[in-house]
Formats: sequence, C-alpha cells, structure tokens
Amino acid sequence: MIGYILRRLRGLVPTTLVIVAASFALVRLAPGSPFTSEKEIPPQIRRQLEARYGFDRPLPEQFLRYVGHLLRGDLGLSTKYPQRSVNEIIADGFPVTLTLAGVALVWALLVGITAGVIGAIRRNTIWDHAAMAAALVGISVPSFVLGPLLVLVVSLRWQLLPPAGWGDWRHVILPGLTLGTLSAAAIARLTRGGMLEVVQSDFIRTARAKGLSERLVVWRHMLRGGLLPVVSYLGPAIAGLLTGSVVVEKIFNLPGIGPYFVDAAFNRDYFLVMGIVLLDALFLLVMNLAVDIVYGLLDPRIRYR
Amino acid sequence: MSLATDHEYEHIGESASIADHDILAELKRPLPPRGVARAPEPALAASGARRAERSRHGVTAGREGRNERLAMGPGQPRTTPGTDHPPCRSERPFPARAVEAPAWTRLSCGMLAHQQRWSRPQDLRSLARVVVVAVLVTTGCKPTESRFFGTTTPRHGPDELWINNGGEPEWLDPGKCSDGAGGEILWNTFAGLVQAHPATLEPMPELASRWDVSPDGRTYTFHLRPSEWSDGRPLTAHDFVYSFRRLVDPVTASKYAGNGAIFRGGAAVSRGEQAPETLGVRAIDDLTLEVQLEDPLPYFLPMLTFYSFMPIPRHLLEDLDRRGIDTALWTRPEHVVCNGPYRLTEWRFRQRMVFEKNPRYWDVANVRLERVRVAMVESATTALAMYAYGDLDWPGSNTALPAEFMDRLSRCADLQSHPYLGAYFYWINTTVRPLDDPRLRRALSLAVDRRALVTYVARGGQTPAADLVPDGLAGYRGLGLPLFDPDEARRLLAEAGYARGADVPPITVIYNTAEGHKQIAEAIQQMWREHLGIEVRLENQEWNVFLTNAGLTNFQVCRMGWTGDYADPFTFLELLASTCGNNHSNWCSPAYDRLLREANREQDRSARLAKLRAAEALALAEQPLIPLFFSSRPQLLKPYVRGFSGNQQDRHPWKYLSIDIDFDSTGPPPVDPPAATEAS
Repeated sequence: MIGYILRRLRGLVPTTLVIVAASFALVRLAPGSPFTSEKEIPPQIRRQLEARYGFDRPLPEQFLRYVGHLLRGDLGLSTKYPQRSVNEIIADGFPVTLTLAGVALVWALLVGITAGVIGAIRRNTIWDHAAMAAALVGISVPSFVLGPLLVLVVSLRWQLLPPAGWGDWRHVILPGLTLGTLSAAAIARLTRGGMLEVVQSDFIRTARAKGLSERLVVWRHMLRGGLLPVVSYLGPAIAGLLTGSVVVEKIFNLPGIGPYFVDAAFNRDYFLVMGIVLLDALFLLVMNLAVDIVYGLLDPRIRYR
Repeated sequence: MSLATDHEYEHIGESASIADHDILAELKRPLPPRGVARAPEPALAASGARRAERSRHGVTAGREGRNERLAMGPGQPRTTPGTDHPPCRSERPFPARAVEAPAWTRLSCGMLAHQQRWSRPQDLRSLARVVVVAVLVTTGCKPTESRFFGTTTPRHGPDELWINNGGEPEWLDPGKCSDGAGGEILWNTFAGLVQAHPATLEPMPELASRWDVSPDGRTYTFHLRPSEWSDGRPLTAHDFVYSFRRLVDPVTASKYAGNGAIFRGGAAVSRGEQAPETLGVRAIDDLTLEVQLEDPLPYFLPMLTFYSFMPIPRHLLEDLDRRGIDTALWTRPEHVVCNGPYRLTEWRFRQRMVFEKNPRYWDVANVRLERVRVAMVESATTALAMYAYGDLDWPGSNTALPAEFMDRLSRCADLQSHPYLGAYFYWINTTVRPLDDPRLRRALSLAVDRRALVTYVARGGQTPAADLVPDGLAGYRGLGLPLFDPDEARRLLAEAGYARGADVPPITVIYNTAEGHKQIAEAIQQMWREHLGIEVRLENQEWNVFLTNAGLTNFQVCRMGWTGDYADPFTFLELLASTCGNNHSNWCSPAYDRLLREANREQDRSARLAKLRAAEALALAEQPLIPLFFSSRPQLLKPYVRGFSGNQQDRHPWKYLSIDIDFDSTGPPPVDPPAATEAS
C-alpha cells in the first residue's frame, strides 16, 4: 500500500512538468501582454515594467528561471496585483475556496446520500419519485440561477443572511448551498443507482439469510457497496467544486481563488495563471489518488500491488 | 495626459470577470437584441414600452394579489395558478412566479415537464432573466412600501460608512496608480497642493494655502501650510520635489509618467534623456515650492488636483530600504504613511479595506466619519444586492449601474444622476479603403440616430452628441454638429461615388466583449444598414486582444471611451493630435497639431478657446472618429448619507460625507445642505 502510494506520487512529477510547460506556452501564446492598457504606455516605461518581471529576457531563459523558482516554492509575482506574490494570493484565497468547497461537500453528501438511500430502499414509491425529481431539478438548475434566487429569497426578502461577502459563518451558507446542490443531486442519483445494483447481489442475500437485521444489511453491506460509484465520482467532484466555485465566488464576491481561473487569463497575469493551473492540476491528481485508496478500503475485491 | 479608464464600462473591461463577461451579461440581457437590430425606432420604442409595462406589473404584483399577478406575464390570459407551466422561450413574457416561496413546488414541476427545453442555452437565459427581474420586482421602490431601493436603516453606527470600490486597486502609490479603484483611495488618503471643490471641481487650497503665478503663466510659487505626515514627521516642499521627480523618472515605471510632462523638462526626463534633477520643480525653502511649466496651461491647477501629484513619504521609503524591505510594499497597512483625511488600517485582499480618520490631517476638524469600510465587489449586480440588503451605503464611483436596471432604479428616490466628463465614440481607421474617404466617414456619422441610441439602447441618461468636446466645458462653446441627418448622409454617400450603399465594401466594427457595447454596436449596424444600405459586420474581441488591435490600428471601426481628466477641452482634443499615443485613427493633420500648440501657448482665455474650437471643427470635418454620446453617472446613495455632491468627474471625497441617523424613510425627501466648506 505504502509502496503503491509512493509509486503513484513519483508518477506525478513528469505530469506536473508537462502541465507547467504547457501552461507556460499557452499563456505566452495569447495575444496582448499584462501591460496592455487602454492608455498608451511609453516604451521607456514599458521596458521598466517588463524588467521587473523578467519579461525582457528570451523565453527559454524565462521558462528555466520559472522552473528554478518553482523548485524553491516561489510562484512569482502577480502583474495585476503588483504588490502581491502568487504565493500570497493563493495562501489568501485557497482557504476560502476550500472552506466553501467543504461546506458544499458536506451539504452534497448529507442530502445526496440520504435522498439516494431513501430512493433505493423505497423504490418506486412517492418518496423515491420525490427524491429523484428533486435531484433532477438540482442537476438542471445552474449555480448562476440558484445563487441569485437564494440571494433574492433569503437575503433580500427574508433579510436572514448577507447577499455577498466573507467574514463569518453567515457568509458561507448561501454559496455553500449554491455550489453543493449540483453535486448533491448527482450523488443522490449515483447512490440510488449503486444501491439498486447491490440490492440483488448474492452477498446481500447471504447477509439476509444469516438473519442480520434489515438495518445492518442496509448500513453495513448495501451502503458500502452502493457508495462505490459515489466515491469514484467524488475525486473529480471535489476538484470540480474548486473550479465550479468560479461562478459562485463571483456571485457572492468571495475572496477565494475561483475567479482567478478566468480573470488571471483575461488579465494575462502570467505567473498567476500558471500558479493557479498548477495548483488545480495537483489537487486533481491528489484527489484521484485519494479516491483510488478509498476504493480499496470500501471494496474488498480491490488490492494494491 | 488623460486617464483612459472609461469608467462606464471599466468593470467589464479591465478587471474582466466571468460573471460580468458571460453569465451575468446573459443574465442581464434585458431585451432580445435582434429586436433592436431589426427596426431601430419602432421596435426600440416598443421594447422600451414593453419593459416599462413589465416593471409596472412587477410593482402592482408586489402590492396586491402577488401570487396571481406574478403567475402570469403581461398580456397573457389569466390561468389558474398551479396548472400552467411557465413559458420558457426568451420571446415570451417572463414567468416571474419563480419568486414566490409557496410556488417552489410548482416551479419544480414546471421545470420537470420542460426538461428538454430548459437545457437550451436561450431558455437558461430566459430563466436567468426571471431571476434578475424577480430581484428587482421584490426589492425596493414599491410605491406602498418605500420610495427607496432596499433598506433605509444603516447596519452600522453614525460614525461609519460602507462603500464599494469595484475591485482590488493595482497600486496605492500616488506615483504609480493608474486605475479608478486606486484613485478613489488615493484621493481620500493623500492631500496634494490643491484640492477640487466637491461640486464645481474648481481648485481650492489644500496643503498650499496660497500661490503666486508669474505674468507669463509659466511659473507657480506655492506657499505651503505647516503640516505633518501620519507618523508625525513634518511635510515639506522637498517631499513634493521628490514626488514629482519620482513620477516622471522612468525608473519608477509609472503608467502616468506622462502627467509629469506639464513640468518643464518633464517629457525629456520621462524619455530618459535628462536626469530627474533637471525637472522644473524646486523647493525654495521648507514651505515654498516653485514649479515651472512647459506651457502656460490654464488647466494646470485643475490637473494638480489629480492623484498623480500627491506627495510620497520619502523618509518611509528610505527607511524600508534600510531595513531590507521591498519598497514597493510601502502602501501596505503595516507600513503606510500618508497625509490625507483617512489612513488605511486594514487590508484583506479582495475582501475589504478599512480606513480610519487620520488625526494628523491638517483639516481633520472638518472630517466627519471616523471609519470607512471599502468592499471590493467586481460584479455590479452583486453590489446592487448588497446595497439593497444594507451592506453598502453607496456602490461607489467605480461601480457602473447596469443599463437594464435603470428603468427600475429611475423610480427610486435614492438614485441620482450627474453628467460625466466621458465621451463614447467609434474610431475610424482613416487609411484603409473605403474609409479613407472623409465623405463616407461623415455619411456614417450622420446616419447614426444618436437620440434613439441613447434613449432606447444606452438608457443611462447620457447626452447624445456628434461633438468631441461637451458644450459648456470650462467656457467652451460646443460645435453643435447635427445629431442625425440621413438625407445629408445619403447625399455624401453619393458624392463619395457610391450610388447605393450596397456598393460599399462591408465594414467591420470591433468592440470588446460586453453586453452594453454589443447592444450599441447592433443598433448602429442596423442604422447604417437602414439609412445607407451599408453592410456592417460586428466582431467582439476579448479585452486584451481588443486593446492590442486598437493600439495597432488593426481595425476598420473600433468602439472607444475616453474620460476627461480635467475640465478643459484639451483633455478630449489631444486625442486627435498626431503625437498622441491614444490616437488610433491614423489621422494626422499638421494644421490641427499647430492649432492645439498655438492654443496652449495663448495667454488670452477666449482666444485660446477659439483656437481649440477651430481645431475641433477642422478634425470633425474629416471625421476620424464618430462621437456618439457623453456619459452620465447615475449613482445610488442611501438617503441617510449626507454631504454628497455630484460633479463631472465623479469624485466624491469621503471627508464631506456623514450619516444622518435620524433619517425617516416615510418623511419628506431629505434636503441636503451645501456640502463643501471652502477650505481656508
């Protein structure tokens, strides 16, 4: 198991290098520069600005310097926010995004698994239909509709929670619900599907034959097998919550890293784009690894070599 | 020399954001633009009326029989609530019932039944529109409840003000700042030699208690009052000398180094040809500053109120340097030293800034608020929601209220609108065929119905104009060119050798991706097609791509906005000078350049204005650009905020503002006493 993890981690190195090289090339291919502005900047001044970031050097040299800095953990300076380093920006924003994703995930799992289990156990009853109908709605309503709706009702109509901003627990609820609902709906459907598949399998029949109580059958045997599809969905879903927060963080004006996925590219903030891409890629890779590990814990048929 | 921030659309451009670009733009789409394009006047009028109708229904619905009224769109037969499904097509009236809490279940069922259709983008858009319109319907301005948009009770004490600044500022360093978000903060944390009157923008004494001007108008001697930095160090004329040299020094890499070109030798220093010490600025003693100008510019003092000319705490920068700290970080709250009414005490990145009254500001006795909390909300829609909820007292100068909200907001007592020193126009590339013919360019200009454009498309109370300089600006008499003359346009077209418009090769207009620009471009496309028969293609470009193409004059026609920095016609006219880096038309005229040069050397005010007027007439006869309108700045301001004056540059110093805790939203409209106290 440990050996497996180490081998997987070693595999991350070339992947990461490719990602760094590709993002460096792509961001430099984009037309314009970080210093393109509506108002003309004199060439003398532009040269000074470029020198501050090392953009006056040949591209291969810039790339090597970037990789060198990267190895020392330095992600470079932002051009849009010239008083901040990319490290600082990510250190400021990542906890916010993680908190948001965490709340969304808890909400998604709580609602999703409950609805899925109810749907599977009470198959084809009104409960099942209600749960799946709700899931269908959850999947169909995009966050940029759900978010303003929640603001409208909860903040403006009922004056219960602030419509935007960051600071205390009141600020995280609406964005968390907005972000988590899509995943909740997906999880509900996956749980129900997974459970229904397991319901007819031999080991459930065995469990029942052993005389286990229905509650034990559901909780210990069915749920464990039924959650497998959910677990494989969770890895990319958690990474998706990070990128999905692009829209939600905009709507609720949260100081997370979500908006940089888009804004940094628009602003040609070279180092910030690369830093964010790298962070997201690493997160996705680690999440996938975590999913593989959890798989082994849930499914006795899977062994790591 | 100008701030090109183009405030009107700044949030869409510079700080590009996905919400504003795509999603909210879609959300906010107020009427089917193709309707706009098809037949400008009648259709535009009709859609305007339809919008008004909608809003009216919203208002009524909010008051009585909400369920039923909201369940149907205007002009739709009444059906039993609960049995009809909301229409989902964008052409259909909006199903505003989504608003109602008891209707949740119905909403879900409706969506289920329409699953197929809802997945189409235009349907999502129409659903999105429901949401936004619904926000409007349920918040604010219901006649029976309140005349205001959202709550009218402050969520904070009487010593505090909560505003928005539209995003993170780039620099908080007066010498380097070049964006609106930074400017808003610099104007309130630093004090320069002179300040602008909050209503008239006339220069008033600030740190300079008085000044003398030499007979030739080229040398100013400022007499400073004794004052202190926020750390207690005395502020002297030497600080100003240091700051002005630093501004133009290319090593500073200030995007606004060009502002220093008004000083003698400024242009040469910023090009690196002369040492910064040769700049025409010197300290005669600790409290006397002498400034020599390149030209006797009448707008020198108004320009001096600009943030680029605020002093820099040299001692702080040197101290940081000694301690091995990056001097670029001197404006962080842990280091910053300033001399204005407020000082930065907390800066949470992209969250908020908190400013406290600076007890060492020379005029602290007249500063009213103890604390100002500044949010950095980029999305105007989000800022509006925060305003309605009461988390903002003022969305701020850097938040442009979305055009589609204006019909609604214009009925609210907390909306005020002021003319703004900003021009919106289309550049023409004068060196490519067929646009190299001035007659064709003039035909294009005359074929734009500017009044319709402003009334039905831009909708922000803008002033339609075919002139480049606003009438009445610093005593200037505007040209008053015709706003719309399709017959003359057709005559010019024929004169240019085109019997029919269809003979003209298709013309491409570029604009940066944003809903507002798109609607204007579509309307103009339609007008040119209808009145001249010319085929027009529209091309939207991402902000950076757009700026690059504009800078290289790589276009046929290109939309642009320009914000005047000071109240003088020159701020607009310099755009067309052949030496101006912001002249994207490839048009250059030695006669025009000469007129501008002569005007700025002219001592007599009216003779100077006459020369400038002749220059404008000369340029617009050649039509290197098509002026469309002058902007206005609608502002939302909570009725309990006092001391706010409108002005042409949308500058509103916080020090004049205060909170009226006794404000009664049911009482008569508040009467604001004149805000500005003449500084002694």
